[in-house]
Amino acid sequence: MMPHTVLGVDGTYPVLFLVWLLPLVGAIVLWAFGPQLRSLGGPIGAALVGTAFIAALFSWNDAAQIKGSVSGAHVSMFTWLPGFAFGLLFDRLALIWTLIITGVGFLIHVYSIGYMAGDRAFARFFAYMNFFVFAMLTLVLSDNFVGLLVGWGLVGLASYFLIGFWFERPTAVAAARKAFVINVVGDVGILFAILVIVSKIGSIGYGDTFAGVGHAFTSQELFIVCIALFIGCAAKSAQVPLHTWLPDAMEGPTPVSALIHAATMVTAGVYLIARCAPLWTASAEARELVGVIGALTAIGGAGLGIAQWDIKRILAYSTMSQIGYMIMAVGVGAFSAGVLHFLTHAFFKAELFLGAGIIIHNLANEQDVRRMGGLRKQMPFAFAAIGVGVLAICGIPGFSGYFSKDAVLYQTLQQGHPWLYAIGVLTAGITAYYMFRLLFVTFFGPYRGNVDPSDLGIRHPELAGTPGQAPKLEHEADEHEHHGSEHAAHAPAWIMSAPVAILIPFSIGVGWLAYGGETSPWQTFFAPLFPAAAPAASGAPIGELGSGLIVLLVVAVGIALAYLRYGTQAALKGSVERLRTETVRMPPVLANAYYFDAAIDALIVKPAAAAGRFFGQFLDPVVIDGGVREVVFSANWFGHLFRSFQTGLVRAYALYIVLGVACFVVYYAAIGTGK
Amino acid sequence: MNPMNPSFFDVPIENYIALSAVIFFLGAVGVIVRRNPLIMLMSIELMFNAANLALITFAKAWVNAAGHIFAFLVITVAAAEAAIGLAIVVIVFRRSANVDVDEIATLHG
Amino acid sequence: MIAFWLLALVLIASAVFTITARKPVYSVVGLLGNFVALAIMYLTLQAEFLAVIQIVVYSGAILILFVFVIALLSSGVKPFDVGPDRLPKVLVPAAIIGAIGLVTVVFSAVRVPSPAQPSVAAGTAGGLGLTGQADVFGSVANFGQQLFTVYLLPFEVTALLLMVAVVGVVLLAGDEEPARRRGKTRAQDREPIVKRQEPLIR
Repeated sequence: MMPHTVLGVDGTYPVLFLVWLLPLVGAIVLWAFGPQLRSLGGPIGAALVGTAFIAALFSWNDAAQIKGSVSGAHVSMFTWLPGFAFGLLFDRLALIWTLIITGVGFLIHVYSIGYMAGDRAFARFFAYMNFFVFAMLTLVLSDNFVGLLVGWGLVGLASYFLIGFWFERPTAVAAARKAFVINVVGDVGILFAILVIVSKIGSIGYGDTFAGVGHAFTSQELFIVCIALFIGCAAKSAQVPLHTWLPDAMEGPTPVSALIHAATMVTAGVYLIARCAPLWTASAEARELVGVIGALTAIGGAGLGIAQWDIKRILAYSTMSQIGYMIMAVGVGAFSAGVLHFLTHAFFKAELFLGAGIIIHNLANEQDVRRMGGLRKQMPFAFAAIGVGVLAICGIPGFSGYFSKDAVLYQTLQQGHPWLYAIGVLTAGITAYYMFRLLFVTFFGPYRGNVDPSDLGIRHPELAGTPGQAPKLEHEADEHEHHGSEHAAHAPAWIMSAPVAILIPFSIGVGWLAYGGETSPWQTFFAPLFPAAAPAASGAPIGELGSGLIVLLVVAVGIALAYLRYGTQAALKGSVERLRTETVRMPPVLANAYYFDAAIDALIVKPAAAAGRFFGQFLDPVVIDGGVREVVFSANWFGHLFRSFQTGLVRAYALYIVLGVACFVVYYAAIGTGK
Repeated sequence: MNPMNPSFFDVPIENYIALSAVIFFLGAVGVIVRRNPLIMLMSIELMFNAANLALITFAKAWVNAAGHIFAFLVITVAAAEAAIGLAIVVIVFRRSANVDVDEIATLHG
Repeated sequence: MIAFWLLALVLIASAVFTITARKPVYSVVGLLGNFVALAIMYLTLQAEFLAVIQIVVYSGAILILFVFVIALLSSGVKPFDVGPDRLPKVLVPAAIIGAIGLVTVVFSAVRVPSPAQPSVAAGTAGGLGLTGQADVFGSVANFGQQLFTVYLLPFEVTALLLMVAVVGVVLLAGDEEPARRRGKTRAQDREPIVKRQEPLIR
């Protein structure tokens, strides 16, 4: 047996099925036997995902192989109809995603064993998480659009399960529903694209579709396909205007936010665009649109990030903004930069969320940063984790985010989009501002947890800008040593800090893969996958170094502003008044998220509800039921009518007879004159 | 005009038909309006006679004795019907206070 | 011509009187007038036999029957008692319907073209002739000859019909006293032929 065929002989890759199906096995087992397994569910779930990760590592060589025009490991499973052939494709792109999904997923599973300990539905949580991993793997491992769509939908379902995990809370249920409905809008977009593809190409496989790009589509059809696919991406990756579900999705447990809404599910849109690179390369209008929307989302998310008080919401908006970067990158054709940013973002965002989870867990579910402060001394490990994450996301040189963000911005400029570049640079500055704001407010200054909330301006949810307060969980009586409302924060259990500790070096080091530009390990690994997008004829007005310096400058300005507002000694001393002032004076546009929610509510939700009321309260009971009732009544009425003729009176019957005679006479007289 | 018997009766046939129709419908209205069963039966006899008049008129117009025969049979049937009708009236109203057909509305719905 | 209009007047007047008279006896008298006028009209139509039959049977027998029944039912000379009118205001609809039928019949009678020349010439047997002559159309001899040869079957059936009528009348209005006097008619209602004896020795 040759080394790489530990996994199988040429053409068959059984280990791939192991990667794909182990999490499904875990989900089924944990679903079925959850109550019996109880606290064993966590280790089982984590172990299965970890095994899948190891299997994926073993498949590295198979994934990285390139034989002629075929790259990666391709397994055909079955053919349903002619043109509908289902199989798995494990090439370099899928490899990156699979490693992140299973690797970061494994770390988060381990973390969750500690975070969700004592929860009533402990095993169910891991069942859902395993199901999510399986669904995401279906999405990235499929070699055809329908498999992708199946994975897409299942991922949305898993997100619904996990956001609404604490289903006794109405806000969680509402958020889960909202996320699912918006995701379904995306599903419809992808379905439409599949319909067009099947009608034009006759097949759903990636290979057939991309081979037919040149001749089977007119440019309008290609544009339509790209836009339809992008609707799916926008819904899944929380791009404007389908982004409103992501902040509300923070109702789910923090590990869920880390895995799904930061590292993996929301990046499915980026995966799709990268996978369908030939489609996008052929349609310039679609690329323009995607780039613009990515840039708008980036700056929009950053703008909202400066107005949030819930630590998870700050991170949610930063996710939205960073994914805007990725979308912008793959939109303009900078595929490798976009995927690199996905890679680095997965690590540092997961680390940020998990660190935030440590804080939330220790402070008994306090999520409002106004009630934190000075945690640097009380939770040094969390400070270290979040500090590293903040430095990475801001693109400080030396940390991974620097390489990927710079690559994204510079290649955007290279492709000839100076405005998008400017927006991206501005966003970098705003990102630095609000991430350092988070850092200063949470970890520096006096601890404000024992301050009356109204002193901090937390009077009404509208004023605060974030709906509702932190959740109050139902914990079992035999909870471990964390107590209720005391602010004595102590070190987290090792099971929660170990995954975060593992993530820290990755957040720093992954970016160094791209060190060296064209000859970096990243480029050599990744570039063969994509048609080289030629730089625009105008080229870049400034060199790469110059661009990097501009970005650094803007970032420094952002950090300085944040320091001046939140970090100076004076600011820290008067933090209570300063935060209250800021809460009260928050512009409503930002507090209400640019009124997107209100707009969607007015344009779509209310008419739909009205239509539902119309059908439910008028059309159904009055028209349909009424129609049926009227049939009954009319039968009754006719019965009464005919009964009224039966008077029993001879004279009445005589009258009817004479009436009949008169009718006959008239009839025959009329007929007779016709002859 | 009709080539009838050369006599000093020269009435168009339509007159006889019209007269027959008038008597017939007078009888019909009489049946409907009156409540006394005897008068109702008499109105029915009126209708019979109107029909007879029409039959005889047409017999004369076509010089066909079938009309006469038919009228003769109608008279016979009318007699039989009057007899039985009156017998029924006698039975029904023998011991009732009101001689009124509206009182025997037991077949009402 | 004058005869026709005069007779028509009498016919209609008597008919109206019949249907509107307060007392049934008045109606009978009106009907008598109607029948007699009708008999004369038959004479103008050369139906001699039928004119006589009209008077003999109709006004002679049927009207007498009516009179007898009125006598049987009435308790005196005062009008019959009547209950409440169960079908009030029926005159107008009835009149309208009757008028419609009447107008339609008259209208169509006027519009119908006159019948063609009859094939039987005047003066022959069965043909037209003066009233009173034998063996002309409408005479007794002609009528009898037609009745007993061509239309024999209807004649016999009518005889049967009359017999049925007679039987029916007898059954309907027959005496019910004998049934009551004869005792119970049903078998189980009759007394047993041999009565049970009381035991002599207790």
